[in-house]
This record gives sequence, C-alpha cells and structure tokens, in this order.
Amino acid sequence: MDRRSFVVGSTAAAAALATGTAAAQEVYPSRAVTFINPFPPGGAADVVARPLASVLEPILKQPMVIETKAGAAGQVGAQFAAAAKPDGYTLLVHIVSISGFAEVDRLYGRPVKFTNDDFIPIARFIADPCVLITNEQQPYKTFKEFLDDVKKRPNDLVFSSSGLHGALHLPMALFMHAAGVQMKHLPTNGGGPALTALLGNNAQMLVSSIAAANAQRKAGKVRALACFGDKRAPAIPDVPTMKELGYDIEYYLWVGMFAPKGTPNSIITTMRDASRKAAADPKFAEAMTNLGQDVAYLDQPEFKAFWDADAKRVQEAVRLVGKV
Amino acid sequence: MDAIFDNLLLGFSVAFRPDVLVYAFLGCLVGTLVGMLPGIGPLAGISLLLPVTFGLDATKAIVMLAGIYYGSQYGGSTTSILMRIPGEAASVMTCIDGYAMARKGRAGAALAIAAVGSFIAGTFGVILLTLVAPPLASFALRFGPPEYTALLVLGLVFLAYMSTTSLVRTMIMAITGLLLGCIGIDVMSGHFRYSFDIKELGDGIGIVPVAVGLFGLGEILSTPSKSVVGKVMPPRFRELMPNRQEWRGSAMPIARGSVLGFMVGIVPGSAHIIASFLSYAVEKRVSKTPGEFGTGAVAGVAGPESANNAASTGAFVPMLALGLPTGPVTAVLMAALLIHGVPPGPQLVNEHPQVFWGFIASMYVGNLMLLALNLPLVGLFVRVLQIPYAYLYPLIIMFCIVGVYLVNSSIVDVWIMLIMGVVGYLLRKFEFDPAPLVLGLVIAPTFELSLRQSLVMSSGNWTIFFTRPIAAALFAVCGVLLTLAAVSYFGRRDWRERLAEAEAGEKP
Amino acid sequence: MNLRRDHVAGGALILAGAGIFALSTDLPFGTLASPGAGMLPTLLVGFLMAFGVALFARAGESPPLADIAWTDLPHAVRVTAAAAAAVALYTTLGFLLTVGALLFALTFVVERRPFLVSAAFSIGVTTLAYTLFGLLLKSPLPRGLMGF
Repeated sequence: MDRRSFVVGSTAAAAALATGTAAAQEVYPSRAVTFINPFPPGGAADVVARPLASVLEPILKQPMVIETKAGAAGQVGAQFAAAAKPDGYTLLVHIVSISGFAEVDRLYGRPVKFTNDDFIPIARFIADPCVLITNEQQPYKTFKEFLDDVKKRPNDLVFSSSGLHGALHLPMALFMHAAGVQMKHLPTNGGGPALTALLGNNAQMLVSSIAAANAQRKAGKVRALACFGDKRAPAIPDVPTMKELGYDIEYYLWVGMFAPKGTPNSIITTMRDASRKAAADPKFAEAMTNLGQDVAYLDQPEFKAFWDADAKRVQEAVRLVGKV
Repeated sequence: MDAIFDNLLLGFSVAFRPDVLVYAFLGCLVGTLVGMLPGIGPLAGISLLLPVTFGLDATKAIVMLAGIYYGSQYGGSTTSILMRIPGEAASVMTCIDGYAMARKGRAGAALAIAAVGSFIAGTFGVILLTLVAPPLASFALRFGPPEYTALLVLGLVFLAYMSTTSLVRTMIMAITGLLLGCIGIDVMSGHFRYSFDIKELGDGIGIVPVAVGLFGLGEILSTPSKSVVGKVMPPRFRELMPNRQEWRGSAMPIARGSVLGFMVGIVPGSAHIIASFLSYAVEKRVSKTPGEFGTGAVAGVAGPESANNAASTGAFVPMLALGLPTGPVTAVLMAALLIHGVPPGPQLVNEHPQVFWGFIASMYVGNLMLLALNLPLVGLFVRVLQIPYAYLYPLIIMFCIVGVYLVNSSIVDVWIMLIMGVVGYLLRKFEFDPAPLVLGLVIAPTFELSLRQSLVMSSGNWTIFFTRPIAAALFAVCGVLLTLAAVSYFGRRDWRERLAEAEAGEKP
Repeated sequence: MNLRRDHVAGGALILAGAGIFALSTDLPFGTLASPGAGMLPTLLVGFLMAFGVALFARAGESPPLADIAWTDLPHAVRVTAAAAAAVALYTTLGFLLTVGALLFALTFVVERRPFLVSAAFSIGVTTLAYTLFGLLLKSPLPRGLMGF
C-alpha cells in the first residue's frame, strides 16, 4: 500500500468513525478493496485472484489488495470473510469447497461456523471440470476397462485425494456411489501430494483438475479416463464425459467472488459491473489460458443458480463420505 | 555429457544476460533479507514478490523467485547465531551451537562457516541437479508413505544423540513435541484434536512460533540485563574469520551435510528442517568429542547449515524433472511458472529449454552472489552484539512478535510464541533441552499421516514396511543404530552405573 | 522427604498426562490395523506419564527445589507482561503504536534508561522496522482501528 492510498484509507476510516453513516453515501470504492485468499499463495483461488485484481484496479481506480488467510482447507479464510464488515471492502475469492464446510461441521456435531447464506455471490470466473486419471503403470486404456476391473476387486485399488472431504475427494465419492464400486481412500494434504502419490503408484486413481493433470498426461505419465463436465473439455477432446458414460455426475473446480451478507446492493452492483468488464479483458483471458483454463464467467443470477445446484452436489458428496 | 555441456552453455548464455543477472541478484538479496528476519520465511517472501513478477517473462520470474528461496537458507543462520532466534524454521539447530559460539566470541567464525558451508552445499546440489535430475527424480517418486514412515522413525532414533541432557529428559521433550504436533484436524478422519474451537489451531501449531518462543524469547526471559557484561569485539576482520582449526573441524560436516541434505531434499513432502536435524544428530554421533555439542561445536553449525541449503536445492529435482512440488515453497514456484504460461511437468526441459537451463545456470551464479553478499556482511552483523543488551533485547522481542505474526497474519500464533517463551524459561529452570521438542513437533503430523497412509495401502498389513526395499533398508539402519547403542550401553561396564552416569548428564 | 527438582517436574508431567488423557475421550482409538484419531495421542500420553514416573522415582538424585535460582524472575515477569500487553493490543492499535509503545516500555520502564534516549530509540526502531517490513517487503502489518 503506498503512502497516498494509506492517507486516503485513514481519512475515510476517520470519517466513518466521526459520522457513522457518512461512509455509506460515499462513492464506492473510495479506498483499497481487499480480496481474502483462503488458500496458500499460488493456490487455486490465488492464481485467479491476482490477475483479476490487476485488471480490476484500472476499472475501479482503487488498489486491490490480496490478503492470504489460509487454514483448515479454506475454512479459516471463508469464516474471516463471513465475519467481515459488509462494506464492500472485504471480499472473498473461494472455490467449490465453500459449500461443504457447514455439512462437515454438522456431520461431526460441531457448531456450524457459516453457511452459504452468509455470502452474496457476485460472479464466477472459471469452472474447470474434473478428470478421472490413472497412472501409466495401470493397464487401463479406457474407462470401461477400469470399471470392469474395479468391479472385480472391490476395496483393492487405492485413490488419492487432496484431503478428507476435500475438493478432489468429493467427485470420487460421487462417482463411486453412482457406479456402485469401492476403492480405498488415501488422503494427502493437497493437490500436489495427491498427484505425487498417483505417479509413485502409491495410489492408482485420482480425480484431478485438468490443468494439474495435463502436463503429466502429455508426457504419458497419466491417462485420462473420464471427464466430469457436462460436455467434453477442449483441452482433452477425446475423453468422454461421465454423462456420456451413463452417470449423472457433474463436478467443477470453479472460482468465484463473494461478499459478506448484508453488503448494500449498490456496492454489489458496482462490483458486478466491474467483474463483467474484468472477465472480458483479454489480459485476464490470457492469464487464464496460461493456467490451462478458459474464462467461464457467470453474472450474479446465473452464478447463484449454478451455486445452488453445485452446493446440493457437494453436500450430497459429503454425506456419502460420511464421518470416518 | 556433451549434451549436458551444450545445455549448460545455453543456460549460461541466458543466465549471464545483464537483465537476468539483475533479477537473480534481486532475488538473492531479498532472500537473504527474508531469511534473516525471523518469521518472514521464503514462502512469505516469494508470495509477496509474486505479483511483481507478472510483468516479467518466465525465466526472469523463476530466477528471481528461486533466488529468494535458496537465498533465504543463507540468511537464516544470522539471527540464530546472533540472537538465538531461528530466522527461518530450518535454522533451529544452528541456534544451539551457533549461539554458543557467539557467546564465546566466535560469532564471526560461525557466520562465516555458515555462509561457506551454504555455498558449498548449494553448489554441490546444483551440480547434482544438472547431472542426474531425471534418475534422481524417479528415485524420489519411490518414496511413498511407508518409506517416509521409515525415514521419520530413523529421525526419532537419532533423537537420542541430539541432546546434552539425560535420555529420560530428551524423551520427555520429544514426546511433548509429538503431542503438540497432534493438535489440529486429523487429516485421516477429520476429527479436531485439542483445538478448543479455536479455528486457527485447526492446522496445528506452527514450527516458527514454537521455535521462536522456546529459543528466542525463552533466552531473553532467563537473561536479566544486569548479568550481561559488554563483550569486547575482536577489531580486525582476520580475527572474525574462522581459524585453521575451525576450518578443519567443519570440512567433513559440510561434506556430509551436503549429501544428506540433498537426499532428504529430493523426497517429496519432506521438510528441510528434518535435513538439518538429521545432520546435527549425525555429526554428534560421529564426532570424537560429542561433549562439545551444545557448547559451541563448529560441526554443529557447519553440518545443519549445509544440509538445509543442499535440501533446498534438492527440492528442485522433483519440481523440475517431474512437475511435482516437494513442499509449499516449490508449490508456489510452480504456480509462478504456470502463471507465466510455462506448465511445469516432465516435458518442461523439452518444451522450454531456455527457462529450464537458464534457471539451473542462474543457480550457479546465484550461489556465488550469495557468498559474495554474505561474507562481507559478517563484519557488520557481528556489530549487532555491540548494542547494549538493554536495547538489544527489546529489539529481539519486537522481531519475535512482528515476525511470528507475519507468517500467517495470525495473532493466535503470536500468543503461542509468548506461551512458548514462558515454557522455555521454565524448561531451563528444570534443565530440559527444547531442541527435541521442536523435532517432535516437526515429525508428529507427517509421521502419523504416513504411518496411517501406509496401513490404508496395505489394508492394515504391517509387512508393508519390510517388503518395500527402501523402507526395509531404512528400518535396517534403525536396527543397527539401536543395537550399537545397546551394546555400548550395556556392554562394557555394569549398566546400572552407566545409567546413573547418563542420568547425571555426564558423557559416557 | 526433601522436595527436589525432579519431584516437581515428574509430578507436573503425570498431572499434564492425566489432563490430556481426559481431553482425548472423544477421539476414537481405532485398531492397530487402522489407527484412529486417538491412537497416537493416547500412546504418547502413556509414554509421557511413564517417563514422568521415571523422573519422579529418581528425583532423589536431582538437586533440591530450593537450589533453583529465581533471581531473574522479576525481570522475566516484567518482560512477559509488556510483551503480553503488546500482543493483546497489536491488531487493535496497529503496528506503529504497539511496537513503539512496547519498545519504550521495555527500555524506559523496565530497563530505566534515560527518557530521551528511550524515546528516540523506540521511534527510530519503529520507523526503521516499518520501512523494512511494511514499505520495502510490502508485508501485511496490522493496521489497527485507526487505520495505521
């Protein structure tokens, strides 16, 4: 934060203290806007939030600050944002797993810290369908060969994941339930370690993001068997979707922007307009292409509908996994 | 061989471009700085500068960010030696003998040996990285949960060599550390353990707050300012440098630390701090004068400081050859490559040879820069000790609070640091050594996770630890060490007498 | 019986072990083939208490409790209190005020250094640290309610 905005920030805060309501009538945003990144630097939300922030700055004419509040697989950051003052200066960039925390807390009889109702969705920026992959030491060339084998030996194959009830565990749970198969679960502590376990053949199957798996796929280290999108992904056009294979499963690793409940409508509208412009910016598209992603922008109404459907899937998957 | 030579030539042609040199230097400079400042480690340093690299091309970005990473391993020893605060988690072991050396007036020697050891280990690591990265990487992949369990058991066996206090006291500290490591969400079952609904405790207790509290703050609390008499500094640069005997005493530890550190570093999921712990224990085990450890043994600085540098270079092996992160720092570096449109993976060297070889060549240059940067600073840093203690320790407390807060922007971490400071003060009164506690804390989560992962893989069959060759070999080493210890313990004299002796803290 | 150092240390460990054990009742122990969340902690507590007993049993050889010198205690208490106050206020008052006050409290109040020297030292160091951490490294220092 430079000195100028520092001064602006402190005077704005002083004004708010003095008059209480004066801040609400100000033009939003009048100082730096903070994005909460609930994952470690370089994580799924961070790599989208940073380019987003850099294209939003000229649109909103205010600095965008990214504050990392990592912990408990994204729960710490989300809880921080849920409790933040709903003044539009603290926003959250989170991924698909935001919908699962409340369900996991209920499962373990813990107090629920926040639910989806504590957030107002603003926009979705990317949505990467997951992909079912196996390592090169397995004989499976197609999904069917894998399915026939796994049906023959339940609870023998091992799948790795980014963690219990994590973003890469839930789609596998949905798939195993739909196909009626059983595999052993090897939880690790992140997407990288999960892929490492697969490549070292300590696990045989993994549901991964296409972006993370594609470099390994091109090198022939992993094979993609099925994709979790509603249509085939451009990066892997020869891989069938779960729907084509007869399972009604969809699962995306998406990244969206949220505001705490109670944020005034005028602020949400400003942010929606800014997000729409940012998503259409070629610089943002280029940054996403570098990540192996396409911009999959949804404005608030569509995003809200998508999120509601997605939350149902996530909560069902959490219940399927159950308490271990 | 010719191919490697050609590739290196290509790499150096990139690395010696003036603009690339500038970014390598910037990275090394920032790295030294974040390594020195307690709390801000390489991870924070890299994430802070990540946005700055958006305007750069991929080569410059990775050269600069990686410079922060290996540069921080150089800087980490500075505050450990001068103030007994680990500047960086992997420098915890340096606090013990480095600080003891400083108290004997050999701070300059300790700093110089740390810098030279880091340079040798770093360069050794880059040479191995150049020559044998792909085969090493596939070896590293064979390190699954059972192998990792075995490695950590080996670490626990080495614990016995780590401390100057009696075995019972060492074990009590280690177990306390392991118990602290159980705090947080259990990765395998999702249970919250001992976290009392404090969400910040969900990920467990960090190493930095505990180490900074126990070592840094604990030291201050038990040193009232009256008892500190001003030390007279040796005035000349020559006397700041290690003498012949100190060089001789650190040559082999540097060599062993380099090899050991590199081996531990290439294993995905391992931490450098384990490399420096193992190195310290090995040095104490092979030393002819193990009694010197803890009172300023030069090997206790040279070994661990080399090991953590070699480990940071070793960590690049899986990242560059396979596109797999070995830890949080390499994960951020991979994200940086990805953001610049260079997907890390097995094809990196073929698809982007400029980036790959330019990066490797820049590490040769970077290590030289770091040596040139750090050695002259020794004279400057030693002057820190000339600050009167009444002003020095408030400064240290400020660094403890600010630094620990910056790790996670978490005030809970700072409270943990403060509590650990008081604990460290009490431990001193009752003659417990905090080092095994820190090792226990480091080992606990990974040990438990890999043990239980192994059992998932084998459906509860314990033979998995003895049928996989690497795990079996590691367990065999553990067995040999335990047998040797038992033989020397019970063998020569009446063991009761020896037990009493060991209890009394004397060296057998 | 004369109270010795390791009586206190051993006794404290046994008590702590019992306390942690009581906290662990909700954690499933599991089986050896599939350990639960409670297995490692329970085993560790067992070992901790066993070593505590060992320490207690051999305490006769340790120096008497009264031999421990507590002359540094008043200083330690003052420093801890100042640091605790600083930690408590750190996020509310922000970096500049808290660190400045902490340094001043330690040098002027605890160490009884001259007022002007202490003040100059506190202000100087705080400014330097702010420049280094906040401006050069752009790290997120707490800003506090007043905005700085």
